[in-house]
Amino acid sequence: MHYQGDYYWGYYMPTRSIGSDPMERVVKLASEKAVVIFSLSSCCMCHAVKRLFCGMGVNPTVYELDQDPRGKDLETALMRLLGNSQPVPVVFIGGKLIGAMDRVMASHINGTLVPLLKEAGALWL
Amino acid sequence: MANHRVGETGLADSGPSSNHHHHHNIPYAVLHGMNVPPSFMHQEGSAFDFGELEEAIVLQGVKIRNDEAKPPLFTAGRPAATLEMFPSWPMRFQQTPRGSSKSGEESTDSGSGVNTISSKTENQVEPESPISKKTSSLDQQQQVEMASDISRTGTSQNQSAAAKTPQEKRRGSTSEKQLDAKTLRRLAQNREAARKSRLRKKAYVQQLESSRIKLTQLEQDLQRARSQGFFLGGCAGTVGNISSGAAIFDMEYSRWLEDDQRHMSELRTGLNAHLSDSDLRIIVDSYISHYDEIFRLKVAAAKADVFHLITGMWTTPAERCFLWMGGFRPSDLIKMLISQLDPLTEQQVMGIYSLQHSSQQAEEALTQGLEQLQQSLTDTIAGGPVIDGMQQMAVALGKLANLEGFVRQADNLRQQTLHQLSRILTVRQAARCFLMIGEYYGRLRALSSLWASRPRESMMSEDHSCQTTTELQMVQPSQNHFSNF
Repeated sequence: MHYQGDYYWGYYMPTRSIGSDPMERVVKLASEKAVVIFSLSSCCMCHAVKRLFCGMGVNPTVYELDQDPRGKDLETALMRLLGNSQPVPVVFIGGKLIGAMDRVMASHINGTLVPLLKEAGALWL
Repeated sequence: MANHRVGETGLADSGPSSNHHHHHNIPYAVLHGMNVPPSFMHQEGSAFDFGELEEAIVLQGVKIRNDEAKPPLFTAGRPAATLEMFPSWPMRFQQTPRGSSKSGEESTDSGSGVNTISSKTENQVEPESPISKKTSSLDQQQQVEMASDISRTGTSQNQSAAAKTPQEKRRGSTSEKQLDAKTLRRLAQNREAARKSRLRKKAYVQQLESSRIKLTQLEQDLQRARSQGFFLGGCAGTVGNISSGAAIFDMEYSRWLEDDQRHMSELRTGLNAHLSDSDLRIIVDSYISHYDEIFRLKVAAAKADVFHLITGMWTTPAERCFLWMGGFRPSDLIKMLISQLDPLTEQQVMGIYSLQHSSQQAEEALTQGLEQLQQSLTDTIAGGPVIDGMQQMAVALGKLANLEGFVRQADNLRQQTLHQLSRILTVRQAARCFLMIGEYYGRLRALSSLWASRPRESMMSEDHSCQTTTELQMVQPSQNHFSNF
């Protein structure tokens, strides 16, 4: 069977999914939408980052890893990606990794976040 | 000891005896029943010919000395000598006897003590000096002494008072001509000594000022420590009243504050000296690194004792009033600066407003995140069916640990805001801006001290109040408190 490139969240599991690389999944998920946030429903900092984007008028796509059966793998992958002990929150914009909360805020303060959002089509004037 | 109140004859210049000032027209010698050459009596007005007065006194003293082993010359000569210091001023000679009496008669003055006193004498002779305020009852007594001694043979013990003592007078100046020459020399010495003593006085006052500032700082620290002790008194497991992480940070912070003052004065002098942009840039950049340092320190402090930061126990009460997530609120800072940063280019204005907007959004996000944390914590430890107390507590502890993350993000936001400010502004604007920030927080801190030391009716304040409202505290020195965060 050839690889089914489409992953619907928790709904449709391609045959290759069992062995698929979590990192790949992360990248794949991240590139599907303009603004992607990996989160945990219990994490308050994730809540803060969600509020930040909503407050800017952006509608982010949120993946709650604690509601995913393979969320743990994704968490591990994210930790490796960030070099961090905190897997979440992690933000991707236009498929590009922005980073954890501190990077997101820094980029908002120095004025680079909004142009990125506009470029990704997540924000209109 | 003479009992007659010399003060009342116009020698004292304190308030009550101010009505005796008219006495100053009466020659000193006459006042005290000395033998005065008649020529002297025709002097009038306030411009004495002090040379003659001095001569008269000296002659008197010489005469007395010739009868006695110990010359009262010093005693007698001194007032005249000091009088001569400022010949152009109407002399209130009544001060000098006090001064010189101090130098002599009976007190425990050592040689150096005499010097001080003679300097005080000279100081009192200065114009518009609030001499009356310096009068002490001791002075009065010594004036009494002085007066009485003038009339008798003095027991001058001030041979050691070398300052401007006319040594040469002692060495047998018996003729008028010799006196004149020596008088001139002595007068010159007097002027020199007076100048030196003025410098000494200035130095002393400076010392007092700095001690006063140190005292207020110490009291601030003490209050802080006490208040922390008050709040953390029931905390188990800590030997002192404050956790070691918090204590360490407090120490680092106070050192940072001292550094901040240094940086501020660098900024000030840099701006006033109209340094080149590149030179000023160095100073501005070092100030930014200075702030970077406190944020670094706060990272460690948040790990060690997040409550210390988040409750603001490391700051002063007034700062604590404006505290947001363990520090200043960036958008408030920008609001404060906006009006003062003129003139700005249109681009800069847009940049500043956009910075304010984005920091507001970030603050709002963090605040909401923290609120959710609080809600979650409440849910965890609130009542309801007691499932498992320990489990509950463990979960709650886990949630509490998130506080550190929020304080860190808040500090990160502050740091980014300051960096962005320096990017938007020109070097000179940035220098002025940072100076303004430092001064603002310095005033806030000064406000806290003033508030703590204000006079109050009730003596029953439990914590920070400084019951001893001294003048020193009420009048804060402006310069030193204008610094830092």
